[in-house]
Amino acid sequence: MNDSSVDALEEENELQPDEQVPVTSPNGATPESVTPSGEHYEPWLFQTMLNELSESELGIGFIYTVLEQLAARYELSDAVVVLAHDSFGTQSFRLGGQTVTPEITDVIGTEPGVYCDPDVVSEVECDAVRTACQLSLSLHLARFSATHDALTNIANRRNFDSALQIASARSARYGWAFTLIIIDLNDFKEVNDRLGHDAGDDLLRQFGFALRRAVRSGDTAARVGGDEFAVILSNAEGHESSGFTERLRAYLSAAGNSVEFTIGTATSPRDSTDPSELKRIADTRLYEKKGVKHR
Amino acid sequence: MMSRTEEDFELELRSLPGVMNVGISHRDNGDVDVVTLFVSGQDSTQTRNAASQIGTLYYPDAVVIVDDAKTAMAPREGEGPRVALVRADFNATDGVCEVQLSYAGRPGVGRAGSGPLIGGAEATLAALRDLGFAVPFSLMAVVNVATVNNWPVIVTLRSLADDAYRFGIAESDEDLVSAARATLDALNRFLSGLEDHG
Repeated sequence: MNDSSVDALEEENELQPDEQVPVTSPNGATPESVTPSGEHYEPWLFQTMLNELSESELGIGFIYTVLEQLAARYELSDAVVVLAHDSFGTQSFRLGGQTVTPEITDVIGTEPGVYCDPDVVSEVECDAVRTACQLSLSLHLARFSATHDALTNIANRRNFDSALQIASARSARYGWAFTLIIIDLNDFKEVNDRLGHDAGDDLLRQFGFALRRAVRSGDTAARVGGDEFAVILSNAEGHESSGFTERLRAYLSAAGNSVEFTIGTATSPRDSTDPSELKRIADTRLYEKKGVKHR
Repeated sequence: MMSRTEEDFELELRSLPGVMNVGISHRDNGDVDVVTLFVSGQDSTQTRNAASQIGTLYYPDAVVIVDDAKTAMAPREGEGPRVALVRADFNATDGVCEVQLSYAGRPGVGRAGSGPLIGGAEATLAALRDLGFAVPFSLMAVVNVATVNNWPVIVTLRSLADDAYRFGIAESDEDLVSAARATLDALNRFLSGLEDHG
């Protein structure tokens, strides 16, 4: 499709303010029509959603944006939206990111909804706002869960592979150096067997936290397997990884965690600029250090 | 507008057990200054420690305060019985959904043959009518946000009384359950009004 036909299509689909919008009934019944500027329609809400989507993705920030818009529209002095979420339980968000205090919770209770001061917003509009906010929270969680490891909250394997692809491509194109580090916890299986899986999970959580602290802004830390972690150190040659491992050991020690680990590194572009090859080299060096033959 | 970093920071804090609200104040230069968590039903010391750890990752200079909600968020007294979703089944052979609700110990069953999403919503409306409620709403749309499980389902109903829309949202492992719960969610005010007189 060329540019002019795209323009024509967009022009054709553009809605005029009072144009009738067909709404298709889901069960195949006769389509009905509503007016976008109709009394019960909340165009400001959807306009806010569109604006937010054009600049970012819907998330927690959108909830505060909607509360601000609602407050401006109805001259509210305060507004709280209470959401019930499967993963989070009851969550409340207050205008301006303010803290919800016990006095406020006496008013709002635990029922999901939008609570405004003064109470001048229609129930229908409150429900529309609540639904939009609930959707934003769900989407934010879904986005976060898709890219992060649930136990440690660091990047998951998919996210890491994507970051490695990007770093490798930049390295191949511009010669920018980075170091890939693969980390394997020593004797982790024994911890699980001896102390149980909860203790094992705690150890992984603590290690992930120390890893997050040890990396610099712009680096990527990920959990890529059961007890296997990986790091991309941006703008770093291999020898600079020693500073990272020292920081990691220091943070683990400060947390009273005596877990031992082994690392294998590969540096791009010196070793390779191919992500798979970099992983293979780092893995081989890791297993050499552990004295295990890597297949 | 919140930065992505601050959004993720707040999401992580809200993921901590018992956290019900997060308040964040900023310094004049926009940096996060004080983070106040409102926590219920948990050991607030544990939550404070976990929140402080998360704070050091995102905003090392921020002060983290944990307020214990104690009984402040207890359910309101005097609430009557509620309509509850008991069961939702989809028969793939004949394509029929069956939803069972209960209200004050009474069961209500509804069936519909339009697949798990639309059928789930239609069967829920039918189950409400089976419970004896007049439900003056028509189903406008049922949408799941993505084509995988665990994504939100949004149900839009239209009031026959005033033409206004009601939106409900829910997510679960199954589209059918999500659709049924989202339908009840859309009717939450209507149902609580019924229950007041129930």
